[in-house]
This record gives sequence, structure tokens and C-alpha cells, in this order.
Amino acid sequence: MTSESTSPTDHPRRAWFTAFFTTFTTVFLAELGDKTQLAALLLSAQSGRPVLVFVGASLALISSSLVGVLLGRWLAKLMPAHQLERLAGLLMVALSLWLGRQAMLHLSPLPTDLLQG
Amino acid sequence: MDLALLASTFVTVFLAELGDKTQLAIVTISGTSTRPVAVFAGSSLALVLASLLGAAAGGSLSAVIPTDALQLAASAGFLILGLRLILKAAAPETEEAS
Repeated sequence: MTSESTSPTDHPRRAWFTAFFTTFTTVFLAELGDKTQLAALLLSAQSGRPVLVFVGASLALISSSLVGVLLGRWLAKLMPAHQLERLAGLLMVALSLWLGRQAMLHLSPLPTDLLQG
Repeated sequence: MDLALLASTFVTVFLAELGDKTQLAIVTISGTSTRPVAVFAGSSLALVLASLLGAAAGGSLSAVIPTDALQLAASAGFLILGLRLILKAAAPETEEAS
């Protein structure tokens, strides 16, 4: 869905929104679907200062995505575009298989035992 | 005391997210996008909202939201993005130059 490949005449703001929306949906779905201990952490700390804990967690999440973006930009300078795209594509496909496998294991634990049996 | 709580939450969450699959996705998306600011805005908002929802829904997150279905949707999203990137990389040089 990254729309840079569309013709440059595309309205730049639309390209900006597409990049924003693509990133938002994939990260949001992945993060929400992932029963990370993050929710438990925020919960367990709720007895103390929920707002403070939420601010701390949000700052951390924003910083971690900043680190991710900067790392991405650094890689983009390091490697030729098509090489980075191929590598990034393979990594995304691997991530998708890993996520899919995790979800399937939760959804239907039984068949996998049959497979091994 | 407040600063200590703020700092400890920050460090814990930051380390938890470091190297997490969502951060890997952010690296790949931002590395292949010409709109890094949009990628940053999208990913930060998504992470904060997801953790807010996670905390608000409390332990019953999976009861409230079919998390496995969401994860399947996320895996589909990553698959589409990944294949698009691979196809774009495989596109002959000339086509990229136009």
C-alpha cells in the first residue's frame, strides 16, 4: 500500500496520508492482536498512578517508534533502494508468516498435534 | 517519587518494545517509504492507542476484541506490504526510472 510507486503527479498530501494510514493499520492490528505483557504492566501499575504510568508508557512507545523510523532511514541510506526493498519485503513476509502461525496455534491447537502424531 | 515511576515505566516499556516485531515492521516500512514523518506519526499513534485500549479493556482484552482474528488480519497486512515490496524491488530498473 506504500503509494510512492504511483505517478509523482499524485497529490503529495495523499501520499503522506497513505503512508500514515498503512503504517497505522498494520502496527495497530499487530500490536492489539499481540497479547503483550504491556497491557498487564499498565494494569498492574494502575493501582498507583495510572496517568503517570500511561504517560511513561506512551513516551516509551513513541521513542521506540522513533528509533524504528530512524533505523529505517539509516538503512535506506546504507543500501541501494531495490536491495533494501527486497530485504524489507522478505522480512515483512516472514513477520506475516510468524504472526499467522501464532494466531493459528491459538485458534486451532488440536490439528497441529495431529500433524505431529 | 513520581519521576521514578515515570522513568521506570518508560524504561520497561521501551525495552519491551525494542526488537519487538512491530518495531521491525516500523523499520521496514520507514526504510522503504519516502514519507518517514507519516510513518512515525502512524506508528506512534497506533502503539499508544493499542496500549491504551489494552489497558482500558483490562484483562478481558481477548473477550472484548478477537485478538487472534486481529493477528490474522495483521499478518495479512504484513504479507501484502511484503509482497508489494518484493515485486517493487523485482521491477526492472527502467520501470523504476519512469
